[in-house]
Amino acid sequence: MSHDSTPSPAARRLHLKRRTFLRGMGVTMALPWLESVPAFGDEPTRSSTPGPFPKRFAALFWGNGVNSHHWWAKGQGKDMELGRSLQPMEPLKTRMNFIDGLFNRSAVGVGIHPGQTGNLLSGAPLFKGAVLRGGISMDQVLANHIGQDSIQPSMVLGCEQPITGYHETNFSLAYSSHISWQSADSPVPMEVYPSLAFDSLFENRGSHRTQSILDRVKDDTASLGRRVSSADKAKLNEYLTSVREVEKRVDRMRTDSTRAASRAQEKGTPLFTLKRPDNGLPEDIREHMRLMCDITALAFQSDKTRVVSLLLCRDLSGLFYPFLDVRLAHHIASHNDLSDDFERITRFYCSQLAYLATRLDSMKEGDGSVLDHSCLMFLSNMWSGNKHDSTRLPILTVGGLGGSLATGRTLNYLNQGDDHRKACGLYLALMQKMGVPLTRFGDATAPLAQI
Amino acid sequence: MSHVLTILFVLLSVLAIPASTSAAAPDALDRSFDSAVRPFLNTYCLDCHGSVKPKADFDLSPFTTVASVIDDDTRWSMVLDQLEAGEMPPKKARQHPTSRESETVIQWIRNLRQREAARHAGDPGPVLARRLSNAEYDYTLLDITGVDLHPTREFPVDPANRDGFDNSGESLTVSPALLKKYLQAARQVADCLVPTPDGIEFAPHSVLVDTDRDKYCVQRIVDFYRRQPTDLAAYFEAAWRYQHRRALGDTRVSRADLARARGLSPAYLEQTWALLNGPAETHGPIAPLQARFRALPAPSRGQTQLAHEGCIALRDSVLALRRKLVPLVPNLSAPEVNPGSQSFVLWKNRQMAANRRRLDPGLLQIDGRIPEPTRPGEGIRASKKKNPKPAAPDPDLTVPSDPARRAAIESDFARFCSIFPDAFFISERARVFLEPGEDKANVRRLLSAGFHSMTGFFRDDAPLYDLILDDTQRRELDRLWTEFELVADIHQRMHTSFIWFERAEGKYLMDAEFNFARAEDRDCTSDTKVRRLAEVYLAKARRLGTAEHVLAAMQDHFDRTLANLRRIDRLRAESEPRQREGVLDFARRAWRRPLSAAERSSLIEFHQRLRDQDHLSHEDALCDTVVSILMSPHFLYRVDLVEVSGLHPNDQPVHHSASPRTSPRPPTGTIPLSDLGLAQRLSYFLWAGPPDTALVARAINGSLHRPDILIAETRRMLQDPRARRLAIEFGGHWLDFRRFEEHTAVDRGRFPTFDDTLRQAMFEEPVHFLHDVFRSNRPVTDLLTAPDTFVNAPLARHYGIPFPLDSRDPWVHVPDARPYARGGLLTMSAFLTANSPGLRTSPVKRGYWIARRVLGERIPPPPAAVPELPADEAHLGELTLRQTLERHRADPSCASCHRRFDSLGLVFEGFGPVGEHRSRDLGDHPVDTHATFPDGSTGNGIDGLRTYIAARRQEDFLDNVCRKLLAYALGRSLILSDEPTIRSLRARLAAHDQRIGSLVEGIVTSPQFLNRRDPAIPTNRHAP
Repeated sequence: MSHDSTPSPAARRLHLKRRTFLRGMGVTMALPWLESVPAFGDEPTRSSTPGPFPKRFAALFWGNGVNSHHWWAKGQGKDMELGRSLQPMEPLKTRMNFIDGLFNRSAVGVGIHPGQTGNLLSGAPLFKGAVLRGGISMDQVLANHIGQDSIQPSMVLGCEQPITGYHETNFSLAYSSHISWQSADSPVPMEVYPSLAFDSLFENRGSHRTQSILDRVKDDTASLGRRVSSADKAKLNEYLTSVREVEKRVDRMRTDSTRAASRAQEKGTPLFTLKRPDNGLPEDIREHMRLMCDITALAFQSDKTRVVSLLLCRDLSGLFYPFLDVRLAHHIASHNDLSDDFERITRFYCSQLAYLATRLDSMKEGDGSVLDHSCLMFLSNMWSGNKHDSTRLPILTVGGLGGSLATGRTLNYLNQGDDHRKACGLYLALMQKMGVPLTRFGDATAPLAQI
Repeated sequence: MSHVLTILFVLLSVLAIPASTSAAAPDALDRSFDSAVRPFLNTYCLDCHGSVKPKADFDLSPFTTVASVIDDDTRWSMVLDQLEAGEMPPKKARQHPTSRESETVIQWIRNLRQREAARHAGDPGPVLARRLSNAEYDYTLLDITGVDLHPTREFPVDPANRDGFDNSGESLTVSPALLKKYLQAARQVADCLVPTPDGIEFAPHSVLVDTDRDKYCVQRIVDFYRRQPTDLAAYFEAAWRYQHRRALGDTRVSRADLARARGLSPAYLEQTWALLNGPAETHGPIAPLQARFRALPAPSRGQTQLAHEGCIALRDSVLALRRKLVPLVPNLSAPEVNPGSQSFVLWKNRQMAANRRRLDPGLLQIDGRIPEPTRPGEGIRASKKKNPKPAAPDPDLTVPSDPARRAAIESDFARFCSIFPDAFFISERARVFLEPGEDKANVRRLLSAGFHSMTGFFRDDAPLYDLILDDTQRRELDRLWTEFELVADIHQRMHTSFIWFERAEGKYLMDAEFNFARAEDRDCTSDTKVRRLAEVYLAKARRLGTAEHVLAAMQDHFDRTLANLRRIDRLRAESEPRQREGVLDFARRAWRRPLSAAERSSLIEFHQRLRDQDHLSHEDALCDTVVSILMSPHFLYRVDLVEVSGLHPNDQPVHHSASPRTSPRPPTGTIPLSDLGLAQRLSYFLWAGPPDTALVARAINGSLHRPDILIAETRRMLQDPRARRLAIEFGGHWLDFRRFEEHTAVDRGRFPTFDDTLRQAMFEEPVHFLHDVFRSNRPVTDLLTAPDTFVNAPLARHYGIPFPLDSRDPWVHVPDARPYARGGLLTMSAFLTANSPGLRTSPVKRGYWIARRVLGERIPPPPAAVPELPADEAHLGELTLRQTLERHRADPSCASCHRRFDSLGLVFEGFGPVGEHRSRDLGDHPVDTHATFPDGSTGNGIDGLRTYIAARRQEDFLDNVCRKLLAYALGRSLILSDEPTIRSLRARLAAHDQRIGSLVEGIVTSPQFLNRRDPAIPTNRHAP
């Protein structure tokens, strides 16, 4: 595996163009939760029972569905049997739920691809033409509710750059490129560079930038203070006091996480087991996905963020898989979705989930692991890539979400009537478990049964 | 008691001395304070208004020195009010002062106030450095970025000062919580920053993702296109008007003037004119056009309608013929290549663009013979449907076979096609590689190149550019496109889209030799990789037997791609310094003054440091610099700088040593504001926002402090649309409707017509009216007595006023609204609704609003245990609201206040809880709008109230308007030393027909407005 460590002029230009997304960063004031985590410090926790540990959520997306002949699960718990594409989950099956039969009503009957994707996590009807309009996605609703408690409200990662043309259905391809939407008309910028995603977490980039700005503001205020009357100076001091107050909190957040890291290291539990990824994109998509999973795992472990969305590939994906001995690119391959080729592709994506889950499970937290306190939701935008069928979505969840989500189950909603198989019902249930006081979301007015 | 009397005699003799400036007076007033006023307070007042649970929250115990009385004039002027009115001590008090005792204290307070006011007359007062209020913050951001982001929606609400305004330093504080909001708001602004080839701009939304950048750039270009005059009928009509200019009464007009007056392109009118009036043709497409033009009816008695319709018909016939002359461009195709491949579609677009003004002679029919359909050449894909419309003989397209005549007519056709392009510009494209009919659903793909799924744009506006636009407009359009290319990075995205498409929508790149070409590779647009891709791509095409001309088109595509990519690279590099300049320019606007050299270099250094030390990209560093500019106290605060010569000379380009003849001498102990300081004070008064370029220019050239210039600027600014903010911020706070847009007390179940739209309209009505009063320099008395108002359609419906259906403006002026029981402020539903608790009216609240807000009466708050009236008029039983209130007033503790305002509210009973006109109340009692006013006179309805105010309360009203506007303008509560200014403002109003402009001008030329306290001179005045 090689890395383009010396970027060409064109590569540099690209780097200059992109702009970092700093929503809420550096101005979140709460103490990072990790201060009280026993794994990171000498101090015992407040009470004898560890926790409560924060609940984390990640949505992992891949496009164009599954090979449905090999995407199945039967039975419960240890006795669960898995189809071939689900084999990577065998060691994790008791921690997993296989969920079949859910769908988004507004993603049906609107033509194929973008109209089936841009609302996957919102359930909102989408607008056609030049004006983008849908709904805020459930990961961003979560970020708005619980994001203040961590350094980054959410991380939105991707392994394939967005495209923005028009599909024949006259929906913008932006809908095919983004699953996370911060508002009805604007997607969340997606980080595709592992190195920059890493920086955003571990160099406290947002806080650092805020600090630079506050430093300058202090200088400005001081120099202005020399040019005004003493009464005015008193007024400016009030401003300076506020700046210092905010600065202190930003600083405390930074030092807290540094201290936690060093304490953890002293205890022989290195906090960061990932070296900073090289600049640029990994040439091998396997490495790219693995790095994004690693970054997600570390973000969860260190509680830098509690909400992640990871787009492993787009809808209408152009990724290709020579290492799977598949010559056709993802989208074209999905048109023959019952082929062995597409089964291998499906299994490959499932193995990414297995990798991330295993990684989280190796991170001890209290009596359990980070995985026990998380929920990974793994889903695609359609069932069959050939039929472009979005009346039924392949969904897995992994992790017990702090004991609030029973696992080791196969749940089939397919024949329960459209009102009782809403994907938004699943999202609503998960959000409620994470403390979001919503009673309706998308087209759901109640949480999904059995969740 | 007798002791007090003795002292009073002494005191009276003291009072005989004029109290104003004599050196002995302070002592005399001091002495009488101790000997008469304090004992009076102790005996008659402190029982109720002492430190323990003071009645009406009014504690007089702290006033133990004369200085403490001076410090709280507001309170003591209320004491004066109460004593003068004989309200205090109340009837039921244990003991009452003699009238002489009261008179002594009254006179003492008057003397003290008079002395203090005169002593410090014109004192600018304590105007502290103050942060922008939320409203000012929003307006300032709007004015310096050009986009209305309104971030203060998320801010804590600003507290109001004593005069009800939220713009004063005494009440505007900063907290860490607010600072966090400032940071978020500044980030929000930075997220909208668009780095352009010329500098920086701000989009009305964030531009962090490609699709948002597209939206911003595309919309501007499309808006430009749509603004252009491209309707042929309008040119034909202009030509007709020129021809008949005598009959139409304008003999001297030139064609160019005529074009400009009608918003048309002079150049294109010239061409159209030449064609219509050139040498008469006998054959070909131009001959019938000329004939029909000549046949247009001449205007008779100014009638132009027939000719107008004729021009439209003429246009339609031109377009009908023109449609038959559009050549069909075939698709390119090649083995294994998706027919929608980028190189093919762009090639086709270029062909179609080149044909817009070109004649294809192959479409003409020689002697009526149908031409052979163009046979698809090798490698050219025939359309799916064969000959969708078989051509028929068409006399319009017929040319003679005789070669000489044929050539002449063909050249006419060529001219016709050239002057009438098949389109002036293309702003929407479906998938162009399909038959037009196959892709009808794909609309609103603005500026799209017509690809399938791929990102891609194509510029196609040459006819507009060449025929219609002048040089300035051409530069503007070029600039918009270049900006689009740079900002949205079109070419880079189109190339990565190319790679993705050839993989995901086809199989062309499935061979291992293409593995290096990955859309995700950020280096895929480098020279090396584009060339390598071109090479492998064409080699494969050649292997597969692709036609030569198709290979050429492919090669051409890669060449163009590379050229475009590198052109934008260069442009990006060249733009960086201009973008840094743009940020400096932004700082100048944000800080509302020129930057010093030191400030400029410090900003540049900051940007550089962010890049070098913090490793930010150029754009991120620009954004953070913008954030720092918006976090700076220079932006957030309005500070009057101390003028010390030699300190930052660039900030103080002007000194006031010049021309004492023209600027009024400042009162002692004060110094004049710098011209820049004055510009800010003026703009935040009149616009609640920063000074504009013209005003800053006046300040920089040092003329703003000249009264003539100051007044001229004031008048100019009141004419500016931004003066609407004065109506909102001053009027809204004065009359308490600023937050009416959030009014939620209406029961919408009972009043279904009250919806958000109507609520918004109610809010807007006083804004429009007050704005008009300021803009048209109307008498302030118009506020109460004018017959006119402004309505939009929903409000007109609410009022029963017919609304003109053809109105272009959503708001219209109603010059006489009296037939609908409206006119002026008093009958506006915003006030009537805001002062109703939902399901009934409230004469109490409405009357209190009149007394307090309009007439400036100060009325103590009600006691704690007030009986509640039923919430619903319908539940009052047999009694009307009026009768219930009468009972309430029977209680003497209530009566003393309520008799001052209940009657003022009862006259509004003809208006229901949402301000609707009514004759019966909700309890179905007929409404009674008679009232006995506080002075015992009687009247009926609004007119009765107007008569009462005009006769008895006019002075109160005018005085109140002066005080409120002065307090708002100064950004502080009024102090005793403002009294002489109030008097002079009143005199000024009286001398100018009570016109509001004279009041505004009086304020901006008052010593308080022009000066500030001299911080170098220690003062015995007490800061609040």
